[in-house]
Amino acid sequence: MIPLYREKDNLIYKLHPFTIAFFIFAIFFLSLIFTHPVYLLSLLAVVFILIVDSGNFKEWKGYLKIAIPLVLIIIIINALFVRVGSTVIYSGPRLPFIGKVRITLEALAYGAGMGVRLMTIISIFCFYTYTVQPDRFMKLFSRFGNKTVFIVTLSIRLFPLMISDYRRIMEVQRCRGVKIDSGGFRNRIKNTFPIVSVLLLSSLERSFQQAESMYARGYGSGKRTVYNRELWRIRDYMIITMTVIAIIAGVASYIKGFGTYSYYPVLTHFDISEFNLLYIVITALIFPAILDWGWKKWPILKLKI
Amino acid sequence: MKRLTAYIALMVTSVLILVLSLMPDSPFNEINWALLSVLIVGIAILMFFISFEKRSVDPKEMALIATMASLAGISRIPFAAIMSVQPTTFIVMITGYVFGGQTGFITGAVAALVSNFFLGQGPWTPWQMFCWGFCGLLAGFIGKFSNNFNHKAFAVLAFVCGYLFGWAMNIWHWVGFVYPLTIKTFIATYLASFPFDTLHAVGNVVFSIVFGKSFYLILTRFKRRLHVNKERL
Repeated sequence: MIPLYREKDNLIYKLHPFTIAFFIFAIFFLSLIFTHPVYLLSLLAVVFILIVDSGNFKEWKGYLKIAIPLVLIIIIINALFVRVGSTVIYSGPRLPFIGKVRITLEALAYGAGMGVRLMTIISIFCFYTYTVQPDRFMKLFSRFGNKTVFIVTLSIRLFPLMISDYRRIMEVQRCRGVKIDSGGFRNRIKNTFPIVSVLLLSSLERSFQQAESMYARGYGSGKRTVYNRELWRIRDYMIITMTVIAIIAGVASYIKGFGTYSYYPVLTHFDISEFNLLYIVITALIFPAILDWGWKKWPILKLKI
Repeated sequence: MKRLTAYIALMVTSVLILVLSLMPDSPFNEINWALLSVLIVGIAILMFFISFEKRSVDPKEMALIATMASLAGISRIPFAAIMSVQPTTFIVMITGYVFGGQTGFITGAVAALVSNFFLGQGPWTPWQMFCWGFCGLLAGFIGKFSNNFNHKAFAVLAFVCGYLFGWAMNIWHWVGFVYPLTIKTFIATYLASFPFDTLHAVGNVVFSIVFGKSFYLILTRFKRRLHVNKERL
């Protein structure tokens, strides 16, 4: 159930952590500034292609279980409570608090548009979860605040350790005849209680030992050194350039008013010329997938970039 | 103190922009709140972390924060199926109560960040970081006024925090995906989350009654070990 980062053999996993984080930030940013349904849908398509390309389609399907109810809630809230639209589809009885039910086409369309936005955001974070290794990502910030980064990486490391600790304590308790899985609710809570206390005590004890060992090794005594560095390769520069182009094109289309769409009071029509900048955004954002395709097809590309 | 002033200034400015955006004729009416709200929350968290970086912290305290944060984060997992009931808020709050507001804030923020590495990152991460951090901060504030474990005050605060957490989390939902941003849609979003918030609040109270005293005793023991006064030895 817990999503875990697993390294796969494609280009996406061989990038500098900054590149992939910047790329994900760009899509997140663009999905927040666009309100035009076509723009949002094409962003979703881009994310979808990247998820499939990086081999995470199965994991993404698990995310749908959370995403679809949220999207439905958004559509329902918008449809029920927003009465700015003018094309009435259904007008129903009076309800307490809400008032007269008046569902308009515009509110439904807005809800759907925002649903697509939420889907895009959830998908891009799903992409993030599966393609960025937490430790490598956190190391990006170690230059600015090494205490915070140290705390975060230490807690990431403690996570699996504590889970195995918990299992160990459970087993010990079971061997001693404490019933944890059977008996009444009250009884079970009473029996779990010592496990939690022991877990807290032993992990705090270990944290102090860890701190003492850090102190003995001279933590914080001088300037921090770096154990391993991430390499910047040509592929990183290429993808960052394309992402910057996508952001510029996206912001330009936002300023010109192409990326925004007014749902209220009446759905406006749009013509195809509004999408000129969108083509640039999509081509630039889909570039990692294209590069990955080329990388698999021509080994020479793999060597060169 | 300087940072606190800056912090209050940031909050006042954001509330001011919010009020302005509700008025029809102001230039802020068409502002992109989805983007701005993430920015404001991000800056708020950043300021706490910067002040933490500036302070001299010894390795023991850092290891302790990491331990409490990952304990709080882990406790989310077995409860992930029952939405909104988890001991995370309680663990963050008791840490703040014993070790002070700043430690509480960092613990809460790191717990949210780290557990989301395992449960799934999202745009909710900065909001959760802020909310749990704030719970720790509040608990640290009431912890200042009592020498012993005041279980009544703590339980009441835990109950309030359950609601505060949900209300703050609703803001991103409302700002990002609901239009128009009116009082009515605001109340609707809050009504929709009310059952979950109540569950969260009641769960917090139960956890603080069941585990409060023993957690407090264990943590105070470690707090005493944290700072050894060399003159008294």
